[in-house]
This record gives sequence, C-alpha cells and structure tokens, in this order.
Amino acid sequence: MQESAYFDKYNPIGGVWDEMYGLDSNVREHYRKVIEYISKESADDLNKKEELAKRLFMSQGITFTVYNSGEGIEKIFPFDIIPRIITASEWTFVEKGIKQRLTALNLFLKDIYHNQFIVKDGIVPIDIIYSCPHFLREMYELKVPYDIYVHISGIDLIRDEDGTFYVLEDNLRTPSGVSYMLENREITKRLFPDLLPQCGVRSVTEYPTILYKNLMALSPRQISNPTVVLLSPGIYNSAYFEHTTLARLMGVELVEGRDLVVNNHKVFMKTTTGLQQVDVIYRRVDDEYLDPLVFNPESMLGVAGIMGAYRKGNVAIVNAVGTGVADDKAVYVYVPDMIRYYLNEEPILKNVPTHQLGNADEREHVFKNLNKMVVKKTNGSGGYGMLMGHAASEQEIEDYKKEILKDPRNFIAQPTISLSAAPCYMQGALKPRRIDLRPYALYGPDGIEIVPGGLTRVALKEGSLVVNSSQGGGSKDTWVLA
Amino acid sequence: MLSRVAASFYWLSRYIERSDGMLRMLKINYASSQDTVQEFTWEPVIRIFAGINGAEIEKLENDSRAVLKYMVTGKNNPNSILNIITLARENARGVQEHIPKDLWQCLNEYYHTVKDSRLERSLQREDPIGVLDVLIKQVMLYYGTAEITMERGEGRSFMNIGKYLERAIQSVDILDTKFSSISDNPDLLTDTTYWKHLLLSLGGYELYLKTYREGFEAENVLEQVALNNDFPRSVIYSVNNIHRYFDRLKNDSNVDTFREMSFQIGRLQSRIKYSSVKSIRADGLHLFLTQTRNELHGIGNSLNEYYFANS
Repeated sequence: MQESAYFDKYNPIGGVWDEMYGLDSNVREHYRKVIEYISKESADDLNKKEELAKRLFMSQGITFTVYNSGEGIEKIFPFDIIPRIITASEWTFVEKGIKQRLTALNLFLKDIYHNQFIVKDGIVPIDIIYSCPHFLREMYELKVPYDIYVHISGIDLIRDEDGTFYVLEDNLRTPSGVSYMLENREITKRLFPDLLPQCGVRSVTEYPTILYKNLMALSPRQISNPTVVLLSPGIYNSAYFEHTTLARLMGVELVEGRDLVVNNHKVFMKTTTGLQQVDVIYRRVDDEYLDPLVFNPESMLGVAGIMGAYRKGNVAIVNAVGTGVADDKAVYVYVPDMIRYYLNEEPILKNVPTHQLGNADEREHVFKNLNKMVVKKTNGSGGYGMLMGHAASEQEIEDYKKEILKDPRNFIAQPTISLSAAPCYMQGALKPRRIDLRPYALYGPDGIEIVPGGLTRVALKEGSLVVNSSQGGGSKDTWVLA
Repeated sequence: MLSRVAASFYWLSRYIERSDGMLRMLKINYASSQDTVQEFTWEPVIRIFAGINGAEIEKLENDSRAVLKYMVTGKNNPNSILNIITLARENARGVQEHIPKDLWQCLNEYYHTVKDSRLERSLQREDPIGVLDVLIKQVMLYYGTAEITMERGEGRSFMNIGKYLERAIQSVDILDTKFSSISDNPDLLTDTTYWKHLLLSLGGYELYLKTYREGFEAENVLEQVALNNDFPRSVIYSVNNIHRYFDRLKNDSNVDTFREMSFQIGRLQSRIKYSSVKSIRADGLHLFLTQTRNELHGIGNSLNEYYFANS
C-alpha cells in the first residue's frame, strides 16, 4: 500500500489492543480501505474536514449547554473524524452477547418485582436488592406490557489488551447518546463521500423506525393510531437536543411534565383543542422525578398521578419504572449468575472482575491495592465520583477511603482495565486514544433488535482512560461492516 | 397542537414585537434628546416600557446613556431587550421541532448580537443610533424570515395573534402616556416636535404628512394611531389582524371556546371601528383607552385559559 505520512508516524501504545494495528504492527484488514482513502488527503484537507464537522454540528445546533454563573454556554460534543470500525464477526459476537445479557436482565427484573425466585434460590442476596435506591416497591406485582422492562438499553463495552470484550456497565434506565450515533454517521457521509459504500458499512438509520414500531406496539388501547409522546425534562436538560431529534425523527410529540395531566387514571396531554389521551410515554425523566405523589414530592418535571395510571395499565412507560435495580453496580456482579440461572447458558460477554466494598474481606484487599483499582459509586453515572487509583495522589486516596467507609455498600472496585485504543486525528497527525463502545438495543414484542453501530466514546486527553463527555471525552462514528 | 407549543409561539412573537417597539422608541427619543434646548426627559418611555416606580425613574430620566443601558442591556430590568430576547429564544428552543431552521438561526443571531459585550460598550461610547439600527435590522430580518418560511398553520396564527395583540397594547399605552402628559403641560398641545417625534417613533410620520395637510394637530394624531385602517401600527389595524388570525383557528378549535372568544374579539373590533375622534373625545380619551386595554388583556387571558391550558 501507499506510504503515508499519517500512518508511518502512528505509534500504538504498548500493551494495549489497537483497533487499527495488529500484533505484528500490520494494519488490520478492515482498516485498510479507510487508510488508503485518508492517505490521499493532505493534512490541509483533513483539517478542513475537521472544520467542516465542527461547523455542521454548530449550525445544526447539535450542542449541549453548560450552565456557568447563570449564563448558558453552548458547546459541541467533540467529534473525531476517523471512524471506529468493527468487523462482521466481532459484531455477531457482540450482538449475541448483548441479546443474551439483556434477556437475562429483563427476566431478572420481572422476577425481582414478582416472585423473587432468584433470591429464594440463594443466587442473589436479598440485602443487595433492598439496599439499592433504585429498587422501587411501587413496582411490586405490577404487570408491564409483554413483560418487557428494558425497551431501550445502552450497554457499555470495552476491550482489554488481548481484544476480549467486557461489559463495563449495563445502562438500563434512560441511556442517552443515540442521537450522536445518528448524527455522527450523517456527518461522516459529508466528510468522506463515497467511502461508506466502498467499505460496505451497515446503515444505522433504522433506529427511529424500530423504536417507533416498538412504542406503538405497547399501546394499552387497541386503536389504529395510538398517541406516543416523548417526555423530556425541558430545554435546560443537557440532552435536550437528543430529545428533539428523536421526537422529530419519529414524528411524535415532545412533551414536558407540565403538558400532561392525569384524570381518572388516564394520562392526557393539553392541546389547543382540549385534552388528548396519551397511550405510550417514552420518558427521558428519571424514576425519581416521574411522579411527585409517589417519588420526590418536589419534582416539577413529572406528572402527578402518572404511577396510578401506570399501575392500572392505562399508559405504557418506556423504559419501565424501577429498572435501575438491574444496572446497580453491586447487582452487576451477579449478572453472569443470572444468565446461568434464567437461561441455563454460559455468559457470552464477560464481566469486569468486581469487588464489593460492602464485603469486609474484599474491602481490605482493595484498600491494599488501591493504586491498581478503579473505585466507583454503585449508583453513579457520567464518570462523576470515581477514583482512578493509578492517577490519584495519596491525599486523594486517603480522602476517598474515608468516603467509602461512610457507606461501603455504595462502592465497588475494579482492576484498571487498559481500554483498547483507536487512531484519532489530532493537529495533522494520527494518535492512539482509548475508546469504548455503546450499542443501543431495542427490546420490543418481536424480540431484541440492535442497530449495527453504536456510540464510540473516546478519551481525547493523552493517557486518559475516562471516556465520559463530562470528563473531556469525545465521540467517533462507529462502523459495522457487512 | 400542544397548548405549551401554542403558548410558546404566542409569547415568542409578543417579545419580538415588544423589542421592535422599544427599539424604535429609544432611537427616536435619543435623536430628539439631541435636538432640544431644555433638559430632555425619558420619563414617558420608561413608563411605557418598564414597570418601575417614581423614585427609580427620577434617577434615570435625564441621563440618556443610563436609560439606554437600562432598557437595552440591563440585566436587572426584566423588560430589557436583552432579557426579553432571551425569553423569546427560550420559547423558540422549547418548540424547535415546530419552527423552520432558518427562523431559529435568525433568532439565535439576534440573541447573540444583543448578548455581545461589544454592543454594551458601543452603546455607551459610540453613536447609539447606529447600535439601535443594528438591532432593528435583526428584528426586520426575523419578520422577513418568518413571513417566508413559516408554515401556514396553527402555529403561525398564534404567532400573529401574539404579534398584533402586543402591538395594539403598545399603541394604546403610547397614546395614553402621550396624551396624559398634555394635561400636565398644555403647552405640548401645540408643540410640533412633540407630535412629530411621537409619529416618528411609530413609523407613521410620512403617512401623516400625506393624510393631513394642515400641520400637527393632536386630534389628527389620535385619529391616525387609533383609527386609521391603513396605518400598520394603529389600534384598529392590529385588532383587525387579531380577528383575522384568530378566525383561522376555527377548524383547530373546540366549538364553544372558539365562539366565546370570537365574540370577545368581535365586540372590541366593532367598538373601535364605530368610534370617531369626536365620540372618543366626548366619552373621554383616557376612558376609551383604558377600556380598550382591558379588553385586549381580556383576549390574552382567554387565550391563556382556553388555548394554553394555563387557567
């Protein structure tokens, strides 16, 4: 192949799985066409492409707002122009693994809110369940349509140094970021004309269609045109752009809590012609804020009485309420056992080895090895409140230990996994940066469908292992090859 | 259409119209402040556009630059251009999937222009008329874009109802303030520049010259601003348009509420239509204006109750 200034200077990180380079420092086959394409472009052209990408994001308003001293500043989620590529066989494996895991997690949710066989059979200890703040007794014995709890999930996958996939987190509540999967692809189409069909990249545009089909199918009323709405916390939410995008792509009404009202255990939206009954709510409001009569009484984002309507079966809520108990990081430890228990299968996707700090022996072991560990809150998200042992100062470690001892149940520790790396374009050169992968799985009455693609998040800071956007992460377009 | 979406269209439009009226008023008053030997007072302008009391007005009224700062970029003035355009933009953001992208970008640009710290500086140090012209141009751009790109549906009707309701209220307020100043200071009645500036700030100066040949007369000014069908800022023109756009909601409305509001608007429209300067004078101008204002607010309240579900 052609000699290239970008790739000759590319230095893979030692001891890390590189998505582009194989062990013998040869470019992996599935990256070859992209490399040939990019090698023909001058650094000037690539800089222009980067500029174009930024402009497209900005002018389309694909921004999130950071509130600082009362003034909103609009920022774009950093985007790296080099796509992340997944081969057909890798995808088949990931797809099978996620379907298996999601099936088990969904059975677990049904079980835990009904008979609790898994507890009675001694697989999952009851105190782990009852101490989880996302276990909601309000959901007990509540029948949800088709027994589906997790309609939309975004399970986070990472790869260690030999390329093995691990599940880092099961996001089963209101996973976000899918609009970036869709928008990143649109932008790549503009940046690299003709390259996608040449490489045989599978399309992701089906996502809103599948989601809408699934939502329609959940309607409690057997009518031809049920009302589906997307419930957003409103314009101040950082994911508001995603809410408007999904509403627009599905052609459903975007509502806020104040647009809805419950009467006689039915949910209605207030329109200029009067009240209109709502059948299905895709909510992007957390459980805690959903119904001030049942959960947080100070919530202004929810709808008073909506849980009553839900219990009566007059409205479908997506995802179901109370799914947080299944993506609690202390419950995460038991997911492989759940798969064996409910499905009688061996887990396809591995868990990252995890220590529960509520357990005294494990805590002691972790405290001794904190510099090799990542400690997380069991119900945290967005990369907040984490301790990265290898990068923390002694003082930080001591402070964090005190924090842990206040309530050990709320913490878990995992060995620092060396995330895989992929090339990123930075100031005229390619540099390896760490990445993860979040495919979006849609669980409907017809089964689980996963759009071939997902969100690849990338830690743009050199040496960083944290990919969260709140911690300086960016994203890449994610290609799944046919 | 969702009630919240309709309300956002309505308020978005009211705020834009308000900013337009304010900017023109400020521009003409600043020009007029440069053209007078006595001390110029901003008191009427502040009274019309800001809800503050006597003592606070006194602090400001003779300092043109301070008034401009307060009215345009004042963070603590809830009715400053900066604050109302921020509100307009938030209303638009909440209905982003219902408005054309061009219109959103236009409003966004208006917002960023007002927010720019350079604008505040220029307003203090350079020619304020140039700065106000930049903002007025943004409003005109917005109206042009709305005219060309907005889909002809329910949303646009609510926008236009908001626009003309705001305009009618403004014209009523301006007439009331300007005419009540005369009772305190009868000399103004024959002061040509006083009437000229009033007409200029409403953009009705040229029309006046074409319509009335006998110089500036208070009664003629009243006739034009209240009753002239061809003057786009007159009360009657605005009310006719409220009626026109409300009528378009017929198919999208609940029959009873539509009938009730139609009655309300029709009554107001007829009362103004069948008034003359003579009859207004006979009943008392202030009374006429107060009643008109109350009925306009009544229309706003009914919209709130019947269409925006904010009762």
